[in-house]
Amino acid sequence: MLILGIESATSQVGVAVGGHEGVLASAHSARDRRHAENLTPQIRFVCEQARVELSEIGCVAVDIGPGLFTGLRVGIASAMAVAHGLGVPMIGVSSLDLGAFAVEHSRRLIVPCYDARRGEVFAAQYRSVPGGVQRVSEPTVATPDELAAELMAMSEDILMVGDGSERYRDVFGAISHIEFAGTSLQYPSARSLVELSHPKALREEFVAPNEIVPMYLRLPDAEINWKTRASA
Amino acid sequence: MTKRELILGIETSCDETAAAVVANGHDVLSNVVSSQIDIHARYGGVVPEVASRAHVEMMTPVIAQAMVEAGVDKDDIDAIACTVGPGLIGSLLIGVSSAKALSLVWDKPFVAVNHLEAHLYSSFLEEPDLELPVVVLLVSGGHTMLILMEGHGQYRLLGETLDDAAGEAYDKVARYLGLGYPGGPIIDKMAMDGDPHAVKFPRAMVNDGYDFSFSGLKTSVVNYVRKNPDVADVDIAASFQEAVVDVLLTKARRAVKEFGATGLCLAGGVAANSSLRERTLDLAIEDGIKGFVPSRSMCTDNAAMIAAAGWWRFHSDGPASLDHGADSSLRFPSYA
Ligand SMILES: [Zn+2]
Repeated sequence: MLILGIESATSQVGVAVGGHEGVLASAHSARDRRHAENLTPQIRFVCEQARVELSEIGCVAVDIGPGLFTGLRVGIASAMAVAHGLGVPMIGVSSLDLGAFAVEHSRRLIVPCYDARRGEVFAAQYRSVPGGVQRVSEPTVATPDELAAELMAMSEDILMVGDGSERYRDVFGAISHIEFAGTSLQYPSARSLVELSHPKALREEFVAPNEIVPMYLRLPDAEINWKTRASA
Repeated sequence: MTKRELILGIETSCDETAAAVVANGHDVLSNVVSSQIDIHARYGGVVPEVASRAHVEMMTPVIAQAMVEAGVDKDDIDAIACTVGPGLIGSLLIGVSSAKALSLVWDKPFVAVNHLEAHLYSSFLEEPDLELPVVVLLVSGGHTMLILMEGHGQYRLLGETLDDAAGEAYDKVARYLGLGYPGGPIIDKMAMDGDPHAVKFPRAMVNDGYDFSFSGLKTSVVNYVRKNPDVADVDIAASFQEAVVDVLLTKARRAVKEFGATGLCLAGGVAANSSLRERTLDLAIEDGIKGFVPSRSMCTDNAAMIAAAGWWRFHSDGPASLDHGADSSLRFPSYA
């Protein structure tokens, strides 16, 4: 089955297409946050490069976050429209899963960490298991200092991946048992999305387009204020 | 008979997720609007992040419903038209992303529509043979504009608000009086039981060009209520509304005369206001012009007007590129 993967959770926006032969074509861009402008042309481009007709796509995989809200939604809305338009099912994958998957062979505890802006990061912990990675903590949003304190208290070696760990390298780098995957893996990629979705597609772990739920991890400010006021 | 051309319209510029199918620019086959008013009411106004989240959830189901209600499938659609601005950027992007993705997978032209221009087309949905030129009074929560429409795509912006939009003044006065949200329909309803001449609020710049100013009116309502706490809310509401409508219609009427327009059209959410509608029709009869007030559902944000404007834009400009983005501060396409 051919999978179209759409990914837009960070400053990067990307599209890949592939299936049992692996990823056939992909495109990523990370300049000037032109997610909405670039995404549809990228879909057309990767399909042309892979010599795949849109009608051959059997499923649309999308990064559901956590990530930067506006860009994230551009990817999710586009993916839902593509799936709805083609009448095919979807697979939702977390950006944190994609980050961990990019370093799946590490023996260290894997901590994908993305910049959430406003002095916070999105993060979770993963372990390498045969055939992939397994998440071992709940995805959270925290300040770099809070996350650093939590990781400092752990005795095992840690590998951090993602633009959040790069941006706050001064904070996390002070901890001796942390290593960094580096800037080449700082964004979740659409290639990983397609690879990671392929076994799910074989197991038919699909959802309908209207069942895709973005992982925000943070309430809208107004809702936070309203809840505080209501409980005060 | 020439072939019917079907446009799928998509609108997400503020707090309505909407899709519609319209034939030949005026024949509405479906017009689906999912309103978020209940979601935003507790915050006393539209919260952009809350609106964007709701748009993502509703967009695909709303499009699907518009197609089902119209009894058409993708092969029947000739183009997909979508609002690209102005509006809330996070909201606009949901519609634009969805419309472009559908346009790609269905292999249909994508048409970029200016939301303000689309409001003008709400009149053509019910009156396709509307005789031009007309003066259009476009009043909503975000805009107050007086426009001379000389032809399709031929507009002259005569004046606009220098501060608050008319709808914004309604919301602010309603909030001050503790009446709830949205202010327009609430004040409109209360005004029916009040005396419009109870308080003489100022009519700012009424004899002065075609621009508007409503922030002074809001302030004088606040000051008056502070000094006269015993005056009934219904009288305040009616007097405030009278002042707004007086200013709007005095200028619109003058514009119709000055430019020799055949009629006056209302557009935008505030055009659902009963007093504005009634007095527009009265004025039209008095002056021997055509008064056109679209049905209330066509005044507030909807996708049928996007499809109608999209049909004209498609024929005049052709399709837009798939790398088109959204522009939160897109200007009204006026040549003067
Ligand atoms: Zn509007």
